[in-house]
Amino acid sequence: MNARHVISRRTLLWAGCLVSCAAVCAGADGPSRNFVSCPIVRDTASVPCWLSEYDGELYYLTIQSDVTSPVTPPWLGHRVLVEGTVSAEPRICGGIVLKPVHLSVMPEPDASCNTMLPAEERYNLTFEPPRPPGPSKGRLAFDNAPPPARPSPAALPSTKEFLVPYDFDALVGFNHARVLTDVLEFARAVNAREIEIVGYRGAARLSNGQLMLEESDVGKRRAEQLAALLQGANLKSPSYKVTWQDESARATGADDYAIRRAVVTVHAGGAAR
Amino acid sequence: MTKWQSTLLAVWLSAVFVAAAPPLTTSTTSWWGPGQGTPLPEFATYDNEQGQLGVLNTSGQLDTKGHPFFEAIGTNGRACVTCHQPSDGMSLSVRSIRERWTATAGKDPLFAAVDGMNCPNLPPDEPRSHSQLLDRGLFRIALPWPPQRADGTRIDPEFTVEVVRDPGGCNTDPRYGLNSATPTISVYRRPRPVANTKYTTHQNFGVGPFIGKNGMPSATDPETGKPTSMNLMSDARAATLAIQADDAAKNHLQIAGTLSAAQIARITEFERQVYVAQVARRDAGSLVEPDGPPAFGPRNLAADDAGVLGNNTTRYVFPLGAKWSHLPRTNDETENARNASRESIARGHDVFMFRTFWIRDSMHLNSVGLGNPVKRTCATCHGMHMTGMDTANGWMDIGTTNLPWATEVPLNPWTEAKPQMPLFRVTCKPGVRPHPFLGRVIYTQDPGRALISGLCNDVGTIVMEQFRGLAARAPYFSNGSAATLRELVDFYDRRYNIGYSELEKQDLVNFLGAL
Repeated sequence: MNARHVISRRTLLWAGCLVSCAAVCAGADGPSRNFVSCPIVRDTASVPCWLSEYDGELYYLTIQSDVTSPVTPPWLGHRVLVEGTVSAEPRICGGIVLKPVHLSVMPEPDASCNTMLPAEERYNLTFEPPRPPGPSKGRLAFDNAPPPARPSPAALPSTKEFLVPYDFDALVGFNHARVLTDVLEFARAVNAREIEIVGYRGAARLSNGQLMLEESDVGKRRAEQLAALLQGANLKSPSYKVTWQDESARATGADDYAIRRAVVTVHAGGAAR
Repeated sequence: MTKWQSTLLAVWLSAVFVAAAPPLTTSTTSWWGPGQGTPLPEFATYDNEQGQLGVLNTSGQLDTKGHPFFEAIGTNGRACVTCHQPSDGMSLSVRSIRERWTATAGKDPLFAAVDGMNCPNLPPDEPRSHSQLLDRGLFRIALPWPPQRADGTRIDPEFTVEVVRDPGGCNTDPRYGLNSATPTISVYRRPRPVANTKYTTHQNFGVGPFIGKNGMPSATDPETGKPTSMNLMSDARAATLAIQADDAAKNHLQIAGTLSAAQIARITEFERQVYVAQVARRDAGSLVEPDGPPAFGPRNLAADDAGVLGNNTTRYVFPLGAKWSHLPRTNDETENARNASRESIARGHDVFMFRTFWIRDSMHLNSVGLGNPVKRTCATCHGMHMTGMDTANGWMDIGTTNLPWATEVPLNPWTEAKPQMPLFRVTCKPGVRPHPFLGRVIYTQDPGRALISGLCNDVGTIVMEQFRGLAARAPYFSNGSAATLRELVDFYDRRYNIGYSELEKQDLVNFLGAL
């Protein structure tokens, strides 16, 4: 963890209170487990599963599937920020199940994160994974729903908000092509006159009380990058209003991932609708 | 000096001393010279070391006389067909290159200084000046640095580039190099097959306004405004066949001015209807019998759907079926040998499709939601039905050009071998995230897509190529570093610690050679 993640003792105490609150607030959903650690990959007779250790306990994060998975596996060679909730489900691959869980790969390489465990009979999956380790059976793992019917231009709202979520400290990546396409298609359909983009900076309150702050200018970078990408996709006629906000103080240890976002609001134009 | 270079030098010296003698003629009958004027049949076959290649023109026999693909429309005597030979799967094998050198004492326009030499500043007609082309089948690709957008504006790259090693001399040359008045980086790459292009230019699965690997805007077709698959060239710098034709005419044919609209239309019309694939193997016999597997031959390629994801058990990447998996044995030894070869091809297909291994630290595969490592198969990346390409935006780094995996000459006191490829040191700028698998400083023989995008994460990424006509167009990989299909398989085995058995390797080689 680098210097900007180091915080004062007083802040830690305050953070500890918040963490306790967050754990209680989590209530029936189980306590939260927010930590940064090395991921571990354990092979099975089918797809491998992803685990991580925290405070002497092994947690199950996810299994390998495909690009449609809502939780994508972390990377060996990097630590991972885990923001999860302890589930009552039986252990998977030997780990306590965190569900829901949000994973953010830490950008700096860490060669110490290199643990690959062989398959063991006792840890084999007790359920059919959404996707085998090789070719699929003809469909993507989590992409079963048919696309919604395209509304007629007259039925489109005059203003629409699009939420762009981010991993910790991250900008646009592979998983943003879909939402960017949605923004682009809507803006074109309504002949957008203005696009407002607000980029947010967040933080992650860890279970040990530490507060991990995102980079100070990440909200600005998120907003400016989204504007540049939309313009780069030839959406040049609307005016762009680009702002950013620091909401890192909102981090409580519960759903902190939701703070790390940008919001794109498209305002419809005139006649072309 | 390699053995091949020594041989070439001897040939060159012989040619010099017999300059008064009649010009040598080609040693093969399949070479297609510019302005040859003979028609290209509706269906032609060409022998190669592994069997026979089929070339299909779905529009019927083509009159090549006056056709801009087949005429020397530039200033250096080349035509498009010079580097896209029908006999070589519409690409160009190093074998054909060497035969042309021998036949013409290096005078063929193929060896033009602009890119057929390691650098135009070298003495012409000497084999060592053309070593990249003669040894590995590589042409010089000169790219502006920093990169430029399609509209000509400059991109501010995320990294700096230093020349560490420059055996060709071009990157450090005061006229042609990185520090010249027009800063240029020279890399050396194989020509891609100009065939089966409905697959390389499709508008189907994975094609969208934003690139599924990094969320950046896709390159669009300036004529239609639609996003493209960006699968045409090794660095995806040309979005359409028309742009590629224009780029090639300018940079490889040295055309005076630009191609006319009519010329571009005729070139691209030809490219959209020509299909190539192996149709026979010496050991396995015909690959295109009427009831044979639908994976093989150019007619099946022409008939099937483009841009379909085949990494599944419904469409398959290469639909072989089960027919060749278990074939009968009889008293006919010839037939038994043929059937054994066909079974090997079928096993090779199964290795390609179902043999899992750990894919690790490969940019734009492990970084796109699958995790690092991911336990998958060859078909994970090579997933497009009928071609084995990625369906769209198919640039990845598997280590063919980036160190530590790229093939390098082992330097030691007991060898005279010298490094052949240039080496660049790429440093991601402060404020830019380091490359997730290679760090902030990367050594590479060819920065690949990054020379176009300016992105650190693209360093050494190369658009994967279609698997068709492989037997006709060795060597392999964009930098020609695998001389044979066996070397190609060995590279993957080493890179990913797969641990293929000898049988698995041979089966894979036979399978790939049948495509």
